[in-house]
Amino acid sequence: MTPFKPENKLDDKSDILQGTLDLMVLKTLDAMGPLHGYGIARRIEQISEDALQINQGTIYASLVRLLQRGWISSEWGASENNRKAKFYSLTKAGKHQLSAETENWERISSIIGRVMALAARR
Amino acid sequence: MTSRLRTLFSRIGSLFSRRASDRDFAAELDSHLALLIEENMRRGMPPDEARRLARLRLGGSAQLQETNRELRGLPALESFLQDCRYAVRTLRKSPGFTAVAILTLALGIGANTAIFSVVYAEVLRPLPYANPGQLVGVFYSKPQENIPPEGFFYGDYLAFREQNHVFSEMAGVVSHSLTFTGHGEPTEVRVLDVTPEFFSLLGVNPLQGRTFVSQDGISGGAPVVIISENLWRGSLGSDPNVVGRSIILDKRLFTVVGVMPADFRFPLITPTQDVWIPLAQDPLFGPWMSRRGGHWLPLIARLKPGVSQAQAQAEMDTFAVNFGKQNPNEDAGATFGVMPLQTEFVGDVRTALFVLLGAVGLLLLIACANIANLLMTRATSRAREMAVRAALGAGRKRIVRQLLTESAVLGLIGGCAGIGLAYWGVTALTHMLPSNLPYAIRVDSGVLVFALVLSVAASFAFGLAPALFSTDFNLQESLKQASGRSGEGSKRRTRRNILAGAEIALATVLLVAASLLIRSFASLTTVSPGFNVEHVSRADVSLPRFQYATQEQWAAFDVDLLRRVQAEPGLSDSALAAPLPMNGTANLAFSIVGAAPPKPGTFLTADWVSVSPGYFHVMEIPLLHGRDFAAQDSFTSAPVTIISESLAHTHFPGEDPLGRKLVSAFPPAPALPREIVGVVADIRDASLAKKPGPMMYVPAAQGPFWGSEIVVRSSLSTSAVAGAIRRDVAQMDKDLPVTDVSSLSDLVDTTIAQPRFRTVLLGLFAALALLLAAAGIFGVISYSVSCRTQEIGIRIALGASPSSVLRLILGESAKIVLVGLAVGVPVALGTARLLSTLLFNVHPADPFTFVAVPVVLACVAVAASYVPTRRAMRVDPLIALRYE
Repeated sequence: MTPFKPENKLDDKSDILQGTLDLMVLKTLDAMGPLHGYGIARRIEQISEDALQINQGTIYASLVRLLQRGWISSEWGASENNRKAKFYSLTKAGKHQLSAETENWERISSIIGRVMALAARR
Repeated sequence: MTSRLRTLFSRIGSLFSRRASDRDFAAELDSHLALLIEENMRRGMPPDEARRLARLRLGGSAQLQETNRELRGLPALESFLQDCRYAVRTLRKSPGFTAVAILTLALGIGANTAIFSVVYAEVLRPLPYANPGQLVGVFYSKPQENIPPEGFFYGDYLAFREQNHVFSEMAGVVSHSLTFTGHGEPTEVRVLDVTPEFFSLLGVNPLQGRTFVSQDGISGGAPVVIISENLWRGSLGSDPNVVGRSIILDKRLFTVVGVMPADFRFPLITPTQDVWIPLAQDPLFGPWMSRRGGHWLPLIARLKPGVSQAQAQAEMDTFAVNFGKQNPNEDAGATFGVMPLQTEFVGDVRTALFVLLGAVGLLLLIACANIANLLMTRATSRAREMAVRAALGAGRKRIVRQLLTESAVLGLIGGCAGIGLAYWGVTALTHMLPSNLPYAIRVDSGVLVFALVLSVAASFAFGLAPALFSTDFNLQESLKQASGRSGEGSKRRTRRNILAGAEIALATVLLVAASLLIRSFASLTTVSPGFNVEHVSRADVSLPRFQYATQEQWAAFDVDLLRRVQAEPGLSDSALAAPLPMNGTANLAFSIVGAAPPKPGTFLTADWVSVSPGYFHVMEIPLLHGRDFAAQDSFTSAPVTIISESLAHTHFPGEDPLGRKLVSAFPPAPALPREIVGVVADIRDASLAKKPGPMMYVPAAQGPFWGSEIVVRSSLSTSAVAGAIRRDVAQMDKDLPVTDVSSLSDLVDTTIAQPRFRTVLLGLFAALALLLAAAGIFGVISYSVSCRTQEIGIRIALGASPSSVLRLILGESAKIVLVGLAVGVPVALGTARLLSTLLFNVHPADPFTFVAVPVVLACVAVAASYVPTRRAMRVDPLIALRYE
C-alpha cells in the first residue's frame, strides 16, 4: 500500500473545461456589468438552467486567472443589501479577448456542426 | 503573449503581499458565503440548514484558499522558501549533528577549494596576455637521440620569420642574470633578453613609458631597458621620473624606456623577471646573434587568426625537412615542435597538482559518505514525522524535495564555512609551495564558483540517498512504532554498512598513495648524493662580461679570489666550481681518441664541470685513481681532465683510463684532446632522484667561466663565511655582487622542496581520511548495536557469553573493513600506477605499503568499534527485553 496520494493538481480538470469557464465568466460580466463572485456563479447556473451545478467556489480559480491576465479588474464595493463584496468588471483588453474567443468558438462549433451533419447524412 | 507576461509579473508581485492577499480572499469567501446563506434563507430554510447547504455549495474553504494561493503566486518558489525556513529550524534543533556535519563539510570543501585555487592559478587560468589561445612556443628537438626540447639560433629565427605563413608574429626569448649596481649593495637581477617584437606579440601594455620597437633590436644601437614595477618601487624608490633614467647592468649604462606592471611575467624559463633588454644588448647572447649553430634561443609565436596548431606544426615539419637537407650534420632528423604556450609553462608541477586535487576530491567523498550516514540516522528518528506528512497528503516527490532542500542548506552553509577555511588554507599553502611557481594564488571569482558548484554537488551526493531511503517505508508500520529500538530491519543497516565500506575503500586509496609518497620521499632524503653536504657553504660570484671579457681575466680573477679566501682564518678548505651539483648541469658531447667512432647520428655526452684544485677534497668526493688537479695545470700547460667512475666503466671497461684522451669543449671554445689524469667517485649532480651519470671535470684554469661558485668547508657559520667572502670580493672590485649564499645542505634541500610539499599534503589528507573513516565506522557500529540491543539481550539471556557478543559485533566491523579493502586495494593498485612518475626507488605495487595499509585500517576499525562493542557486551538482558 503506498502511503502517498497523487499530488493535488488543478490539471486534474481538463484545460478545455477551465477555458470554457473563463469564457463564460467574461461573457457574464460583459452582459451583466460589474458583478461579485456569487453573482457570476449564480448567473452561470441560471443560464445553463442549473445543468452546470458546479461548486460555486471553483469560479474563483477562473477569476484569479482572468485577473492575472488583465482581462478583468476587481474592486471592493457594496452589494444590494449593503453587504461588502468584491466586484469584478471587464477591462478593455478583456472585451477584446471576449470577441476574439467568441469568434473562435463560433467558428469551431460551425465546423464541428458541419462535420457532424456530414456524418449524419451517411 | 502579453497576457502570459502579465501573469508572470502578477505572480512575482504577489510574493510580497501574501498575507494581505490571503486575508482579502478570506473576506471575499466570507461575503460569498453570506450571500449564499441569504439566498437559502429567502427560500425558507432554517438558519442552520441554510448555513450547511451554503457551505456545501461553496466548497471547502481550506481547499479554496490553497487553490487560490497556488494560482496567485509562484508555488514552486514559495514552497522552496518554505522548505529553506523549515530546514534552518530543524538544523537548529539538533545542534550536535549540525555542527559535526558543517565541520566535516567545511573541511572537505575548504581543502578542495584551496587546492583548486592553486591548480586554477597555475594550470587552468588562461595566460594573462591578449588572445592567449593563439600563443605557441616553437622548439627544436631530436627525440631519437634523446635530446630534449631546446632553442634555435638567431639565423634560424630570422629564416622562420621570413618564410612562414602561419604565424602573425614571432619573438625570441632567452634568460640571463646580470649584475645591477649603483643602488646600494651590488645585486644580480634576472633578465629576459627579447627580440623587439616580444611585447607587441603578447599584446601587453606598460605601466609607464613604452615597450620595445624594432630600432631597439639593432646591434650597436642605444642600450635601452624595460624594468619591472617591483624593481622600480624597490631599488629605484618609485622615482616618478624613472623613464629616461639610466641603470647600470653588468657595468654598462642602460636607459629606462618603460616600466611593466607588477603582475606581468613570462615564466617560460624563470618564474619572474626584473628587467627586459633587447637581445642585441646582452653581453653574452648579443654577439651570438651573428654566430651560426647552437641551440640557445627559444622562440614563441602567435598563430594567425583561423590557423590551427596542427597547420602550424605541418608547416614547421616541412621546414624541418628542408633545414635537414641543407644542414645534414646538425639538423637531419630534427623536429621543430609547436606547443601551446600554456603547457610549456610550469610543466613539472602539473602532475603533482592533479594528484593532490584527486586526493582532496576523495577526501570530500569520504566526508559526504559520513554525512549521508549521519542523515540516515536522523531519518530514523524522523520516520514518524515523515509518515504523518505522507498521511496528510504530501506526495513522495514533495517530501524528497524538502529533504533535498535541507541537504542543500546544509551544503551551502558548509560551503561558506569551507570558503573561509580555504582563504586560510591558501595563505598556508603559499608559504609551503616551492617558490618557483609563477602565478600568485588567490581565491578569486573562478575559485568561488567552483566552491559553490562543489557545495551543491556535495549536497546531492550526501542528500539524495538518505532522502530517497527515508521515504521508502510502510506507512502503517511507521505510525505504529514507538521508536527505533527494535530496528527497521537489516536492509537499513546494510545500506549504512555499505557506505562505511565505501569510506574504507576510499581511505585505502588515499593511504596507499600517501604511504608510497612517504616512502619515496624517505628514500630521497636518505640517498647519498656522493659528496658530503655537512658544514659546507657556497656563494656565487659573477663577473660582468662587459668589464671582464676575456678568459685570461676570468682565470686571473679565479686565482686571486681563491688565494684571498683561502688566506682567511677557517676558510682554508675552499675551492671553485662551475656548475655546482644540484645547481644546474652542462651536458656536452665528447669523443674518445683512439676509440671506435659512435654510430652516425649518436653522440657520447657527459656533464661538464670546471673546478679548481682541491674541489674534491672540499666536497669529500673520493679520488679513486690517479691525481687531482694542481697548480701546474694552468692555461698554457697540457689540457687535462678527470672523469667519473661511471664514465670509466662505460667507456674503458677493464682497462686503465689514465693516459687516454677525451676530446671536448665548452662552446664556443674549440674542442681539445684532454689527457685523463684521474678518476673520481660518482656523484648525483643533477638531482637526488637521478642516478649518477658520466661526468668530466676540467681545471678551472683551463676552462674558466665568467663566474664561479665558491664552496667552503668550514666550522664557521654560513653567514660568517659569506661575510668573509664578500669582504674579499669587495677588495677586488667593489661592484661585484656575491649572490646565492647558502649552506650546501640548503641547496640540496631546495631540490626536494616539491616532493616534500606534495608528500606532506598527501600525508595530511590521508590522515584526515583515516579519521573520517574511523568516525564512519564508529557511527555505523554504534547504530548497529543500538538497533540490535534486543537481539543481544535475547542472546545473552539464552546463554551467550560476552566473548561471543564481542565476536558478533566485531564480526560486523570486520565485514565492513574486508569489503572496503576488497574494493579499495585493486583501485589503489591502479591509482598507484598513475603516481609512478612521482615515485623514487619505490615500486607502485610496493609490498610493504600494501600490507601495512590494510593492517592499519583494520586496527583503526577495531579501535573505532571498541566503545560500541563494550556497550554491547554490557547489555543487561532484563533491561533490553523490557522495552517493547
